Amino acid sequence: MTHLTMDQLVALRDAVSEPGSAESQAHVAACAACAAELDRLHQRVARLRALPTLRPPRDRFAEVGARVRQDRRQRHIRRAGIGALALAASLLLLVIGRDVMAPPAANASGQLTAVMAESATLEQALRQIRESGQVTDAYTTRAATTLEDRIAELDRELESAQLRAASGTDAGLLPLWRERVGLMDALVDVHLTRASNVGL
Amino acid sequence: MTKALAVDSYLLGDAESVVARVRVGDPAALEILYRAYEAPVFNLARRICRTVEDAEDVLQETFFEVYRSIGQYRGDGPLWGWVRRVASSKALMRLRRNKYRETDELFDEVHAVRREDTPLRMDLEAALERLPATSRAVVWLHDVEGYTHEEIAGMMDRTPSFSKSQLSRAHAKLRIWLGEEVRS
Ligand SMILES: [Zn+2]
Repeated sequence: MTHLTMDQLVALRDAVSEPGSAESQAHVAACAACAAELDRLHQRVARLRALPTLRPPRDRFAEVGARVRQDRRQRHIRRAGIGALALAASLLLLVIGRDVMAPPAANASGQLTAVMAESATLEQALRQIRESGQVTDAYTTRAATTLEDRIAELDRELESAQLRAASGTDAGLLPLWRERVGLMDALVDVHLTRASNVGL
Repeated sequence: MTKALAVDSYLLGDAESVVARVRVGDPAALEILYRAYEAPVFNLARRICRTVEDAEDVLQETFFEVYRSIGQYRGDGPLWGWVRRVASSKALMRLRRNKYRETDELFDEVHAVRREDTPLRMDLEAALERLPATSRAVVWLHDVEGYTHEEIAGMMDRTPSFSKSQLSRAHAKLRIWLGEEVRS
């Protein structure tokens, strides 16, 4: 009697009946050795499924978020065209370039410097967009005002955090600056979306 | 606890509204998705890829792709099923990209030479790690994630019989490495 091969044993587990599976079934029913082998196969699979879930050693969401922001800006810039927004667009591309090229800063102070630089560039781009004299509608004004209010509020928090930092601990500054960049970014989006809609 | 139960817990309670928010580009919604699925996505990537670094890159690429392609998710199946499909493709893509550095044949040969030092019984994690990349990917996708040979063949751009033979190769090796043949 020829025992089942691993191919045949593995095929036996699939719900869809394969050609020759009836014969294999019959063999397993009659042969203790192959029945034991099939059982070991089932156990092996059960053990594989029971392996612990491996967790990522680091949080990678910041990188995902940065790529999403780059992608959104690039799309807006493409849609807005250049023209009056040329300088703003080139500044935003600078931010994108930095996101792509810069190796992630390992230490907190390096990250802080990078985030602050990004915030400054966005600020400059926003100024250009505003000076380009685009027509703003009620919706854009309302959305922009909400964001500007939140940025102003955040700036007050940053001010007191910076005072604390001067006295030793700079914990807490990085998340605040990151939030600021996120808000500035949303503000740029609001203006650029409007600009791309009116075809500036 | 079985894997199936664990996967159910990854389902988001309000998946529909989260998906709608990701569609309009809300980064906070993408973060909710990320937090819900980062562990199972990383686990899948780590089981398929050779290194932690590759798995981390796959994790990142998966969520960027989720953001970019969320419009293709029709809501006709569980969200996790769709995210898992994206993750599997990204992990397999990574394997293919690394292929030139390390062919399965070469890997097999290196280990064949060292067969004498093989301990009588290996731990399952170590045995899995030691399988050639393609066999490991197939055994994981089929036996743990539950994909059919047809689905795996589609993702790998190979035939279902290729997937089947990789799976039985993997089991033949695991059986030896786990020392199962010495058990009565
Ligand atoms: Zn038999």
